[in-house]
Amino acid sequence: MRKDLQDTVSKLVERLSRNFDEVAVLAVSSKETMVKIWNSEPSVVQLWSRVGLNLRLAKSGRLWVLTYHTHEPEALVSHAEDILKVANRISEAELYASLPEYATCKPITGAFDNNVEFYTKNPDKLVDSLITETLSTGVDRVSGTISLGQVERILVTSKGYECSEAKTTFEVYARAFKGELTGHWAHGSTRVSLDAVRDVGRRAGYYATITKNRVDFTPGEYDVVLSPLVMGNLLEYVAWMSSALMVLMGFSIFAKYKPGDKVAVESFSVYDAPRDTSLPGVVGFDAEGVETHNKPIIEKGVLVTLLHNNATASKMNTKSTGNAGWVNPQPWNLDVPGGLIREEELVRELRDGVFITNNWYTRLQNYYEGLFSTVSRDAALLVKNGEIVGHVGRIRVTSTFNKLLSGIKGISKERFDVQWWEVRIPTRAPYIIVSKLRLTRPEA
Amino acid sequence: MNMVLYLKIDPITLHRVVDRGRELGAQYVEARFQDDYRVSVSTRNDKVLAVTSSRSSGVGIRVLVNGSLGFASTNSTTLSDILEVVELAVSQAKATSKLRKKPIEFSDEKLGDGKYSVDEKRSLLGLNVEEMIKLAMEIYRAAKSSVKEAKLPFFVTDIRLHIQEKLVVTSDGARVESRVPRLYITSSLTIMHPQKGTLQRSIEFGGSGGAELVEKWNPVKTISEEQARLERVLLRGVAPPSEKVPVVLGPEVVGLIAHESAGHPMEADRILGREAAQAGESYVKPEYIGSFRVGNRYATVIDDPTIPNSYGFFLYDDEGVKARPRFLYKEGLINEPLHNRHTARIFNTKSNGAARSMDYASEPIIRMSNTYIAPGDMDFDELIEDIDLGVYVKSYMEWNIDDVRWNQRYVGLEAYTIRKGELDEPVRNPVLEFTTGWFYSSILGVDKNLEFYPGTCGKGEPSQGVPVWFGGPNVKLSRMKIGVLS
Repeated sequence: MRKDLQDTVSKLVERLSRNFDEVAVLAVSSKETMVKIWNSEPSVVQLWSRVGLNLRLAKSGRLWVLTYHTHEPEALVSHAEDILKVANRISEAELYASLPEYATCKPITGAFDNNVEFYTKNPDKLVDSLITETLSTGVDRVSGTISLGQVERILVTSKGYECSEAKTTFEVYARAFKGELTGHWAHGSTRVSLDAVRDVGRRAGYYATITKNRVDFTPGEYDVVLSPLVMGNLLEYVAWMSSALMVLMGFSIFAKYKPGDKVAVESFSVYDAPRDTSLPGVVGFDAEGVETHNKPIIEKGVLVTLLHNNATASKMNTKSTGNAGWVNPQPWNLDVPGGLIREEELVRELRDGVFITNNWYTRLQNYYEGLFSTVSRDAALLVKNGEIVGHVGRIRVTSTFNKLLSGIKGISKERFDVQWWEVRIPTRAPYIIVSKLRLTRPEA
Repeated sequence: MNMVLYLKIDPITLHRVVDRGRELGAQYVEARFQDDYRVSVSTRNDKVLAVTSSRSSGVGIRVLVNGSLGFASTNSTTLSDILEVVELAVSQAKATSKLRKKPIEFSDEKLGDGKYSVDEKRSLLGLNVEEMIKLAMEIYRAAKSSVKEAKLPFFVTDIRLHIQEKLVVTSDGARVESRVPRLYITSSLTIMHPQKGTLQRSIEFGGSGGAELVEKWNPVKTISEEQARLERVLLRGVAPPSEKVPVVLGPEVVGLIAHESAGHPMEADRILGREAAQAGESYVKPEYIGSFRVGNRYATVIDDPTIPNSYGFFLYDDEGVKARPRFLYKEGLINEPLHNRHTARIFNTKSNGAARSMDYASEPIIRMSNTYIAPGDMDFDELIEDIDLGVYVKSYMEWNIDDVRWNQRYVGLEAYTIRKGELDEPVRNPVLEFTTGWFYSSILGVDKNLEFYPGTCGKGEPSQGVPVWFGGPNVKLSRMKIGVLS
């Protein structure tokens, strides 16, 4: 742990507590490396070394949140003193609750991989493996990214809470190109693994070479397999909409439901899993100093809980779920339990429909109603009589989240830890078969 | 020029960093100090949700070593820390250079040496938190009173100030200092009716300048008037015609189309595949430049960073190259991609100044600024006078496009039937799906009403969001089948 940073944070809390009713300072110190691959060679290697100081200041029910990327805590003190000058002239915050009373610090352990530091300094070995393994599948070229990070969090509050923890992060994804077909795969973890790198390359290459046939496609309703990458992307929207703040703002499909309501098929559950030390969103305490715990958002098809900080919990007469965000509660890791179908049986199980291996650009017409569409970007495969007959190019899924969650009819046994550009919340997800989703493509 | 810079760094420090990088063997070194200061107020209905401020301040360094590109950043501004970072950037670039088959090179350019800033008639920072909250409350009260039959259960307003300051120094002579203040206001609303359901919309204002932008935009009046129209869409909206009809798109929708289907596919790094695993590639191939026809004579799309008071304003890019208007599509022809110094070298041309960075910790990459379809000289009435039955789509919520920027979809929000040359009853949720080629080849006319809208464009890894404008006139298209949300 960085003793200098710990001292800085403690001094900030002590100094600001003289003028504010409550003070919380969350410091995040990180060292990260990212290598981007373009046309089977590195395009840029990027390195970051930064310290972020985040402050929550409260006085007479007024709330300020300050985020500074700076090595100069004095600038923060000066800014906080400026705030005092206007403190009494602004309205009280609608969502406000006192920070929790003193609690024991229980940081996460087992989420720090010492090998990450080695590969941070020597990423070329991982890069070479990803390129070599992907090209070995017979594809023309590969693009992708490898990222490694070491992250330390320190939280001190004026209520006496003081805690710090450290973790490492590792993210790898590849997009393989073979003619007009592409395949994509991704992996996210707290542990660096050459095997995982090779697996990402192999799976991306597998989908890029799975068929050579381009086949006709007619828009309409289809049974659809959604890969863990697609599920990771779509569940990110579901998870953010389970934030109590999003519900209070009307930007959520859950605004019309309450805990205990059925929102999905019985076979489907999704958990917020901050205590899973293998997923890079792992965190032991939230921004208010509440100990985190794994919890179902949806369990056996039933909405179990929204995600809360103390302020939203107070507004809705419940307890914090350990998901603060000082303003907006946030999901940490997502975990979807597996089902009964083996991965190799998915195509046969689908029988007739479309197998979508990756997507992007999900957008909503109406969050309250959950109206969305999203576009396939890699192999989208037409399946007839339990066989892949070819790929259909880029198509669009247009539906509602309610229909998606209620239409799940199969879940794979295998699950994958995914994270990439379009899946920012680390997610452990299976393949899912959904019945009768509308698929479209322009006529002209 | 009115320059009041935060710039808490001695320019000599950046020169020392550049010199050190060169000593370590880098062929090119670029050091950029960047400070982004933001203050924002968020309200829900008539209550304050949060007052937030942030400062992101530090140095980003890019080096070209043995044909390999390295980028490193730190938010320390002490010389010893920054020198350590440039050493790291050089060593990492060297380490990965052995995996490169072809060296990365930059084009030779005439580079900037000077300062610029955006004038504020009324200081942006003079718009204090108290005033911002008062404005948000006025917006809400006017919006609430504009809804007559339905309810307005959720109304969220964000008002954000952003002061961006940069100092860019390169080893080949650029030295550019800049200050751009920006203001952004958005209200996200939900109109609800027990029988008709809900309608959601985000209304946005954005530009560069001072607090005088508030008077110019008049968000209190603009939002309440639009909301009254949206209530009518919710309550009285009908399905669009089932047959193929001519469609007229308003400047907001046209601007988004220009951004998505002309701006993005004309980014040279995307054309070359540098963003292939993230934001994707392009239907445009290098050999299309100057020869491939994507549309008809109305299809002229321009990206211009130099528009005064625009949200995507800059005069020099983050590689020190002077900005200028770029004609991406010219009268239907694929004309000029957006370039940085890397892609310009590959295309054997000069950079047109499109390299931008979100913050000190982000590498400069090719970005749009203010992208728009060129207007014509017709009035709106003239544009629609010969339409017997058609649809006018003025705004949207949902949209997306595929990763080569060809197959796209826009779902209208405020929309009307056109009958016998006049706007008639509102239309609910019309769905437009078409290809880039169809859109630019199907323009029948454009009017003279050029309008711009703000957005935050996402690209890069890690993803960088940069402020942009997109815009255009009203555009008339040939007959198309309009879908409906089911």
